[in-house]
Formats: sequence, structure tokens, C-alpha cells
Amino acid sequence: MSFKSALESGKFTVTAEVGPPKGTDIKKILHEAGMLKGKVDALNVTDNQSAVMRINSMSFCKLLLDMGQEPILQMTCRDRNRIGLQSDLLGASILGIKNVLCMTGDHPNAGDHKEAKPVYDIESVQLLQVVDGLNNGRDLMGNDLQGATDYYQGAVVTPEANPIEPQMMKFEKKVKAGAKFFQTQAIYDIDKFKVFMSDARKFPVKILAGLVLLKSAGMANFMNKFVPGITVPQELIDELKAAGKEKALDKGIDIMARHIRQLKDENICDGVHIMAIGAEDKVPAIMERAGLL
Amino acid sequence: MIITKKRDFKDLMENLRNYKSFFLIGCSECASLCGTGGEPELAAMKEALEAEGKTVTGTLLPKTGCQTLGTKIELKKDKEACAKAEAIIVMSCGAGTQSAVEIFPDKPVFPSNDSLFLGNMTRFQMFDERCSLCGKCVLDKTGGICPVTACPKGLLNGPCGGTDNGKCEVSPDIECAWVRIYERMKKTDQLEDFKKVLEPKDWSASRKPATLNTRDKKEEKK
Ligand code: SF4
Ligand code: SF4
Repeated sequence: MSFKSALESGKFTVTAEVGPPKGTDIKKILHEAGMLKGKVDALNVTDNQSAVMRINSMSFCKLLLDMGQEPILQMTCRDRNRIGLQSDLLGASILGIKNVLCMTGDHPNAGDHKEAKPVYDIESVQLLQVVDGLNNGRDLMGNDLQGATDYYQGAVVTPEANPIEPQMMKFEKKVKAGAKFFQTQAIYDIDKFKVFMSDARKFPVKILAGLVLLKSAGMANFMNKFVPGITVPQELIDELKAAGKEKALDKGIDIMARHIRQLKDENICDGVHIMAIGAEDKVPAIMERAGLL
Repeated sequence: MIITKKRDFKDLMENLRNYKSFFLIGCSECASLCGTGGEPELAAMKEALEAEGKTVTGTLLPKTGCQTLGTKIELKKDKEACAKAEAIIVMSCGAGTQSAVEIFPDKPVFPSNDSLFLGNMTRFQMFDERCSLCGKCVLDKTGGICPVTACPKGLLNGPCGGTDNGKCEVSPDIECAWVRIYERMKKTDQLEDFKKVLEPKDWSASRKPATLNTRDKKEEKK
């Protein structure tokens, strides 16, 4: 079943994030992607994430297609102007890529080429409009296309943004601009997430809860301090600490599996997006413990 | 105003190495307020150059350095001093420097400042960039705060995911432009406008080099 049909059919959908490496050696990532075959509904391929230069998303999406896996093409507005973005969207379409996740993208300041000129000719809301246009056979300027695209397009939202009101207004703009599914920033507090979902459910879109694998108490503290829009509750940090250094990762897997179970059993959202950040080989274990395999 | 910063004196001296005598031009507008090209800076430059064994044939503090014709007229009284100088040093912005380039077709002209941005003076000699002259103003739609300039990504439709308690993901020293816009539009009861999607910007409106001739149009009407 395709990612789109999975979501639209009401199946609890699972995607996992894969970040192409910096350099041409792709043995490890191909192996990890292979391990997820038949387990997740789609693999979400990052676009120079954190503004660190790597293999582009499109090439890796194509490799996944060749392996018989379904990719979601992440597309940020940081590195390409409106001509480049549209051209890549057409290009990805003829390669058979069906899903696109539209994002603004981290500023170059966060990455390893801090002196780069940021583009941001258009941004996430406008990129969604562009995809909608291409799907309807016209480009941003209203010119007719010789053959339209057929994308299932999504966007991101940060349920724990502070302040939340402008974030929700932007969420609404993204829905209006054509977003069909949303992947959230990492969430750890299911009760707070329920409050967000009661708002988000008013819109005809599918929501995948973003889950980042906690590997240690230190990592949780680091995210609380430095990653905007992510809050790891103290109880979880204590749980990781109590598990001890050796067992912390295992505990992190437990925590994520527990969250997935709750999200699914209580029918809180439409699926999850798993970000294992370097521990992609643990995704099957997470899914198993969550009762998804 | 145009915000300028003094260039490193060593770099300036490197530029001037082949010349001995100079005429100095400041500016009574922005460069005076920035402390880069007013009366005291002209005097200090003269002293510094003389200490390096150079000659200063004269100085002028024009009313508005970027007003090419006006500056040219003001320079008339310094004709002789200018003639004696091998090169001109301009202590204003890049526009003022190029007024001099136009006025002195056969003399080398060197800038003593770097031109940084169009800025507001928030306190004495403290400047903030608030407008980047994009050519199609959106202030009417963003509560009067410019996201093109104040948001490092120039976003037009609300905060990115990096906004954190009102701070920008790029630096904790930057207030998130979109949180400021939101707060202000809430206060001014304009949130309905906040919800409207802004279309991609027409960047052709800020293409370089820009020119504007309002005189022709008026004359055409007659
Ligand atoms: S929208 Fe353009 S013209 Fe208006 S303040 Fe911003 S940069 Fe200046
Ligand atoms: S945090 Fe705010 S100001 Fe900074 S890039 Fe994002 S939207 Fe712009």
C-alpha cells in the first residue's frame, strides 16, 4: 500500500527518517534502509538537514525507489530559488517520487557552510502552493505545464512552539496552501500533544507525531536547552538516568515504543514519524516493542 | 540613514601607497551621525595622514555627499586645493564616494569607510537595520514590522520552527520577527490580516542597478 493510501485508509502509518551521508559511501545507509523494508510505510529523506551539506534528497529517494521502498522527498527553501525548486519537483516526479515534505529549512548559520548565501526566495507556505499548482498543471507564474505532477504533499508543525498562536496560524495557512499531511516536531508529552491534536483535528489533514529516539539523559537535557520547540519532561529524563549509561538507549527505545502504543491505542493521531538520528538500526526494535510488527 | 564603519587604517594606507597628496571629503548627513565622516573625523584623518608623511591639500564637509550636483557646486571654492591633490579620499558611504568619482573623472578616489546598511539610529551611534529597500513594501500587511529585514530568512507567512520563546533560531540576540509581528498585530487588532497568505515576493522590484526619474513623468504630463 502506498504511503498516501495507508494514511487515507485510516491505517496507523509509520515513517522513519533517513539522512543521506556526507560523501559518496552509502553502504551503511543502504543497509539500514534495507532493514526497514516492509516494516515502515515510507522513508523520509532529509534535505541537507541542519544546513549541513550532504548527498541531496532526490538522489537517495531514487535509490530507495529502486530498492522497492517508498520515499518522501524533503524539500527546503534554503538552497534553491523558485526556478530550482520547481525544476527539481518536476525532476523528482519523473523519477517516480510521489511524496514531498515542504519546509523552510534551517538557516545556513546552523550548519557547516555558515558563509553560504541563504536563498529563501519562497518559503514553506508558498512552496506548498507551488506543489499544488504543479499538481494542477501550472507553474508559479501560471504557465501551463506539459504534464502535471501528482504529489502527495505535506508540511511540518511544532506542537510545542512558544508562543503557539502564530505557529497554529501558520499551520492553518499550510492547510489552506494544500498540505495533506503533517509531520510534527518531536513530542514527548502525550497529554500536551492531545491538546494540540484537538485543535489540529478540526482540519482535513493527516497528522504524524514526530518522535525522536532518546539515547541518554544527556541528549534529553541537550535538546531541552538547545533545540527550539522540543521539551523532554523531567520524568523521562529521570527514567533514562535510572536505567544507567549502558541501558539508556534500551530505555529510550522503551519510551518511544510506549508512546507509539498510546498514540495508536487511544487513536490520538494518524501515525508516527520516527527519527532515530544515527540509530536507524533500532527502528525495527522500536516497532516490535510498540506492537506494530 | 546609510550606516558606515571606518575601514582599517592600514588597508587604507595600502591603497594610498602610490600617492602623496590628498583632498578629503566627508558628509554632514549620515556619515557625521555615524562618526565616520564628520568634522572631527576629517580633522583626525588629516592628522593621521600627515603623521604618515602625506600631505592634505584641503577638506570639505559637503551638505549631502550623495547629492552629486550639490557637492560639485560646493567643491568649486576648493578648486585649487583639489587640483593640487593626487587623489581624493571620501569619508562617507559608497554613494558619496561615487559622487566624487563622477566629479573627478581623472583622479583616483578611495573610500575610507565600509557601507553597511540602511539603518535607524536607536541611540547615539547605535544603529539597527529595519528596511532593506526591497522595492515592494509589505509593511501594510505585517503590522509595520519588516520581516524581509528583521527575519534572517525573510519569511512572509509566520514564524519558522526555529522560533524559541520569542528568540530567533539564528541567534539569541535576535528577537523573532514573526513573534514581534504577531504580538503587535494582536495589540492593534489586525490578526485577521496575519492569517492571510502572502504571495511570493516580486524580487524584480529590487533589481540592480535601480534608477528612478520622477522629473520626466511630471514633464510628460505637461
Ligand atoms: S518590505 Fe521592503 S520596503 Fe518595506 S520595510 Fe521591508 S525591505 Fe523596506
Ligand atoms: S526564528 Fe523567527 S526571525 Fe528567526 S528565522 Fe525563524 S521566523 Fe525568522
